[in-house]
Formats: sequence, C-alpha cells, structure tokens
Amino acid sequence: MFDISMVKVLPMKPRVPFIKMRIIAGIISIIAVLASLFLFFTEGLNYGIDFKGGSVVQFTVDEMPDLEAIRKAGNALDIGSVQVQTISLSDGDKSGVRFSYPLQDPKEPFEGSESEIALKDAALQQETLTRVQTMLETEFGIPRVKIDDEGVEQVNMSASVIGSKVSGELRTKGMIAVVASLAMVLLYIWIRFEWQFALGAVMALAHDVALTLGVFELFQIEFNLAIVAAILTIVGYSLNDTVIVYDRIRENLRKYKKMLLPDVLNLSINDTLSRTIMTSVTTLLALLSLYILGGEGLRGFSFAMIWGVFVGTYSSIFVASPLLLLLGVKRPSGEPTIETAVTA
Amino acid sequence: MLYFSRFKIIMITMALLIGIIFAAPNLLNEKARESLPGFMPSETINLGLDLQGGAHMLLQVDVDDVMKRVLTNEMSGAKAKLREAKILTSSLAQDGTAITGRVAKAEQMGKAMEILDALSVPVKENTLGGAKTLKVEQVGERGFKLTPTEDYIENIKETTIDQSIDVLRSRIDPTGTTEMTIAPEGDDRILLQVPGAKNVDEIKRRIQETANMSFHLVREADQGELKRAVEEGRVRPLHILKFGEDGIPYILQERPEVTGEDLKNSQAGTHQDGYPIVNFTFNTKGAIAFGRTTSKNTGSRFAVVLDDVVISAPRINTAILGGRGYIEGNFTAQSARDLSLLLNAGALPAKLFVVEEQTVGAELGEDSIRAGKIAAAIGLAGVGLFMFLMYGLRFGFFANLALTFNIILIAAGLSLLGATLTLPGIAGIILTIGMAVDANVLIFERIREEAANGRPPLNAIDTGYRLSMAPILDANITTLIAAATLYFVGSGPIRGFAVTLMIGIVMSVFTAVIVARLFTSLWHKRARPKTLPI
Repeated sequence: MFDISMVKVLPMKPRVPFIKMRIIAGIISIIAVLASLFLFFTEGLNYGIDFKGGSVVQFTVDEMPDLEAIRKAGNALDIGSVQVQTISLSDGDKSGVRFSYPLQDPKEPFEGSESEIALKDAALQQETLTRVQTMLETEFGIPRVKIDDEGVEQVNMSASVIGSKVSGELRTKGMIAVVASLAMVLLYIWIRFEWQFALGAVMALAHDVALTLGVFELFQIEFNLAIVAAILTIVGYSLNDTVIVYDRIRENLRKYKKMLLPDVLNLSINDTLSRTIMTSVTTLLALLSLYILGGEGLRGFSFAMIWGVFVGTYSSIFVASPLLLLLGVKRPSGEPTIETAVTA
Repeated sequence: MLYFSRFKIIMITMALLIGIIFAAPNLLNEKARESLPGFMPSETINLGLDLQGGAHMLLQVDVDDVMKRVLTNEMSGAKAKLREAKILTSSLAQDGTAITGRVAKAEQMGKAMEILDALSVPVKENTLGGAKTLKVEQVGERGFKLTPTEDYIENIKETTIDQSIDVLRSRIDPTGTTEMTIAPEGDDRILLQVPGAKNVDEIKRRIQETANMSFHLVREADQGELKRAVEEGRVRPLHILKFGEDGIPYILQERPEVTGEDLKNSQAGTHQDGYPIVNFTFNTKGAIAFGRTTSKNTGSRFAVVLDDVVISAPRINTAILGGRGYIEGNFTAQSARDLSLLLNAGALPAKLFVVEEQTVGAELGEDSIRAGKIAAAIGLAGVGLFMFLMYGLRFGFFANLALTFNIILIAAGLSLLGATLTLPGIAGIILTIGMAVDANVLIFERIREEAANGRPPLNAIDTGYRLSMAPILDANITTLIAAATLYFVGSGPIRGFAVTLMIGIVMSVFTAVIVARLFTSLWHKRARPKTLPI
C-alpha cells in the first residue's frame, strides 16, 4: 500500500546527550525559578476580578462606539481606574467591548457587625454596577436588552461582579487546588515507583508551576480562575511526560543492570523522545487552533497551556530525569529481564 | 494479546453504538429531536450559562440577623418563664451569640437554673435524645448564660436557607415555568442560576426585598411630639417611629396587630376610582385579629408597613370582619402586581445580598460557541493530518478513528451524565483532541521500536500494545488526579472544564487502547502483512 509515513524524519534511535547538559539546564532552571520568585514579590500577579474582586461589563455592538469617550465617562463616575477594551468576536460584523473597574471601597469605612458590613459592601458594588450600566445606556445608547433574530428578548450587557469575600475564597481555593493536586500526585507516584521518582516528579512540577506564574508576572497577563485550571492541566500534562520517561527508566534499569545510571537515564529519554515530540506537536496544534480561533474568553487559558507544554516537556527531560541522579535510585538486583533478547 | 474473542468484539461494538446513539441528538435540531421515537435518547449537552446566556448569582444569607432574632425570642421566653416563677432578673441581654443575665436574689438561683434548663429542648422536634437547643451555664453566684449549641445554629441556618429558597422560587418563578437552578451553596449561601434571564434588575429587586408586611395602629401625635421623635429619636415606650415613602413620619404602636404571615393570598386590582390597589385575604387567625382591631379602633388610622416603610395609613371607617381588604399606596399597575407577587411568596426569613454575579448576554455566549466549534474543527483537522503524515494511512487511520470515537464518546458522556458544557469545558475538549492521541503515539512508537528490533509484525504489534499499557495507565491516572482535584476544589465553569477533561481522559484510554487495537487486529487478520506500514 501507499505509505506516506514520515518515519525517516525523526531518527529511529536518537542519542542526544541530554544528561550531559544537565548542569547548564539546572543553572537555567534555577535562575528562571528564582526570577519568577523575584517577580512574584516585585511585580506580582495581575489578578483578574476572580481573585481581587471587581466588575466587568461586556456588550456587543454593531458599530464601534468611541472608546475614549466611554473611558472618560467611566472615569467621571469616580469608580477607580476604568479599563475599556475591544474584544474580538468570531462574527466579523459585530464587535464587543469590555469595560472593567475595580472593587469599590466605601468613602468612609462601613460600621456595624461583620454581616452588616458585608451587606453594605454588596449593596455598594451593586449600586455601582447600576450606575455604570445606566451611564452606558443613556450616554452611549447601548441597550441592556436586545431582541434577537427570533424575536426573543435577550440580555445584551453582560456583567460580572465579584465581591471581596468571594474573591478571597477563590484565591485560597485555587492555591489549595494546586498544592493538593501536587500532594496527590506525589502519593500516586510514590506508590507506583520509588520515593526518588515521586520527589523528582513533584519538584519538576513545582518548577513548571513557578515558570508559568513567572510568565504571567513578566507580561502582566490577567491571572484568573481559568489560568489556575490551565496550571493544573499543565501539571497533568507535564506529569504525563515525566511518567512516560520514568516508566522507561524503570524498564531500562531492569534491562541493563550493568549500565551506568546517567547512561540509563539518557537512553530512556532518547527512547521516548519521538513520542515526547509527537505528543507535544499534536497538543500544540490543538492549542494553537484554540489560541487563534477560540475567542477572547479562552485566550489567556490557551496561552498558559502553550507555554506549559514547552515548560512541561523541557522539565521532564532536563529536570525530572537528572533529579534522579541527584536523589540516587536504587538499582534492582538479579538477572536482566529477557524482554531484550531480540536485538536488531 | 491481539486476539479478540467474538464476545469482546460484540461488546466493544455495542459500547461504540451506544455512544453514537447518545451523542447523536446533539447534531439534530429541536424539531428533529422531538420527532425521535420515545425509546431513543433525546438529551443534549447542557450548555452552561456562560454559553447560552443568563444570570448566575451567589446570594449571601444574613444568618447573623436571624440568630439575633432567634435569641431575642429565646430571651423573651426566658423572661416570661422566670417572671411566672416570681424570679426577678436584671441586665438581661443578648449579643447575637449568647444571652446573659443575672438573678436578683442568690437564693433563687437554683430554681432559676431549673427553669432555664427546661428552655433547652431537642433541636429536632419529636425526638427525645439528640442535641438540645441551648447550653445553660451558671456564671458566678447569680449570673447565667444561655448559648445556642452548634446543632441548633446549624439547624437554624438550614431552615433559613430552605425557607429562603422556597420564597425565592415562588418570587422569581411564580408560574414554575422557568428552567432555573436554586440550591444551597455552603452553609450560608444560595446559588441562583436563571438561563436566558432577560431582566436581571427585576430579579435582583425581587431578591432584595424581604417583604415583611405588618399592620400597626397609628398614634395620632401632635407636631411637637413628631418633631421630638424625628430630631431626638425619642418615642414613648412601646412605640416606634417609621417613615412613609414620601418621608412623612409616623409614630406607630410597636406591636403589630396583624402580620404578613397571616395573609392567605393577595392580588393586584383596581380601585373603583380607577387607581391600582392590592387586594388581600387573611387566613382565619388574621381575619379574627383584623376584625377585632378594626371594630375596636374605628376612626383611628391603620398603617401598612412594608420592609420598614409605611406605604399607606388609611382611616378605619367601619369594622372589617370578613378578613378581606385592600392596600392603596402610590402604586402603578406594575408595582401593584409586584407587591402582590411578593406578598403571595411570603417574606424572606433573612436578608439576602448578591456577593457574586455573572450575567452573560446571549450574543456573547453564542459567539463563544461558534469560536469553539471553529477551533475544535481546525484543531481536529490539524491533529488528524499530522497523524496521517507521521504514521501513514493505515496506522494514522486507526489513531484518527480512535480520536473520532473519542469525541463522540465525550459528547455521549456529557449528554448522559447531564453534565454542563462551559466555555472552559470547550477548551477541555479541544485540549483532549491534542492529548488523546498520546496513547496511540506511545503504542505506535513502541511498535516501531519493537519492529526495528527485529520482531515480526504480529509480535511487534502485540508487544507494542502490551508494553505501552503501564505507562499509558500511569500517565492518564496522574492526569485524572489533577483533573479530579480541580473538580473538587473548583466551582462553576472550572468544574465544567474538569468534567470534560476527566471524561476525555477515560474515553481516550478506551478508544486508543481497546478500539484502535481492535481495528489493528481486524486489519492484521485479513492483511497478514509481512512488514509493518508504520
């Protein structure tokens, strides 16, 4: 049959000396993690309203209004720093606008019991939203409700309001999610492999999380709940890669009892290299499609994931595996398994 | 083992067919779905509010306020019982967490403690054992302290939330036709989701009004007394100061004659002079009280107070004995309808406030779906093409077939579970498209490797599948752990993402390891290749 398989593109038995590059890779990783930590304390993350509270009003328009005028009118409301941006829609005839402003603080601190303060605070946020929506409606003629093609009334002005209490909880929950998943993974790998593997994998994952946060700190991209989901998915993806390599290391450790540990590691990374590249490519293909075509709402998520695929792939080769050298792996004793009897 | 028994083949085919049947309704439009025969599933994937548009609100219930009211009641109960036993108390007070007080004479302390102990009853009525409502303690020689127990507080919270949900449901959806979700969230919040909600402000208004109605007799005060009351906040005992909608002050008797609780029903109507009014009917208890008050106080004014505002204060012309009446105020036809709706739904047991709101316009939601579909189609095409390029028409086809079934099974799984597809969920599906081929890549790479090591085709395929099982399972279980964590900790749309990811992982293992292997096996049986086209 006609064969278009590109088997010759990737060398069948690559022998790239990855392990030899571990010192330089280690230095790069340590610097990157430190830089990310440094940025965390200096620049910090640009939290979205999920995590710091605040409001976003979005709407679609047939004709783009004067954004500068909207911004001015927004600032005139005295509601903190107002941001007005366009959002791209897949329907080219229409455009979207996003109007956001921070959580409102009372002019004078509220008094009363905790629940009274919470009540007043919620009322203040709601009242501000109404002011913003009224401003957009009366001054710029943006309808709050629109009649759609089928003659049904539909909301046109989308709004998200997140209070300080909820955003605080979401922040805590997000942090717990990341830490809890790392802990669970540590446990699973510990059960399936040796403790050195578990520790190596989790350190590599922590490295991935740190670098992903680092990019968000560096470019000040909005960090919201979807990004936490992306980070956890990166954890899953990177782990996938790491486990595949580890699995091969375990297999090769049984096969080649006499081979030196660095050589076993290098062999295993090379054995699984074509798979690592293939899966990264297919995942990146899907993610690029999502990034370019998937709409504004998923852009941050897909950006984080694309970055995460690179970082995750890098870390399984250059962090997770060399760490096994550092941590020391117990070599199994006894005869090599016979699975290798057939050689080319 | 590349060999599949006939039974296994039938089972796998059945599973795939069931998947197709459950996924199919998603491709049909509403009309075609309705014409499906009854035995065919017609459920489609639920779209989250972020995709179909609608309002999502997280409401905080002011439980503290309820606690205060409960303790005030307990306190007056205690006071009455102690007074009955001729025990004098002093500095009886409550701060929302406990009631404290002192008994005047130390020798009465023992008796007082006995009476107070009797106030603590089982939390759940009609049970002898179980948790009591109050913890009764003696403080010093003459002091006492009553603290509500954890169980009691828990019970109050639950009841408050349950009642609030009932009231909200009848307020927002009096006809019961809207598809809305309203459920407790945590122990002091309510989640409200109204798909396709048009008038969000209206919903918010209905949430925020507690609709506490009461009827009080008005004390005919002179200007001087009113002025003192307004400026110095001084009113004579057992009286309260309230204002009308137009700011006119009224001095009312503190004790209501009748309350909204005794209303049987109400409806908007028109006065004979043509302006809108709200007609109401009391239940028996209310009718008796209303009749007694109106006959004893003919000529006085009677104030209708709604949420602390006097909405009208008509003069009682004759005794009203039938338990029927009407409220007039500055109503429009709409506000009269709103008020009767609120009165019928009953009062909320506690104040509710919106701590989180997400309203999504239908157009933005539609656009997200369209963008998601395009991205999924292009992503799928890209990955499919790449697999053909890398593994040839034969094995590329197996992988892509597995991928196609994977998508079908995700759609089936989401429809079957009644899971909700959210915007991040779409991301989850597209991501799965990219990651799902991983299992096949692992297997194919291994087969290549084994074939290069000199194994004959059948042996290479067999070994490839066998040796790939452990890493595939390990890799997917760990990803599953991450997704499950996300599900348990996340909320709303993020949960939607976690669900699609989890379904995607499980289905991808099934399709890549079992379905693709079945096709490889069937092909091998017929073709008996000498070399592998991989």
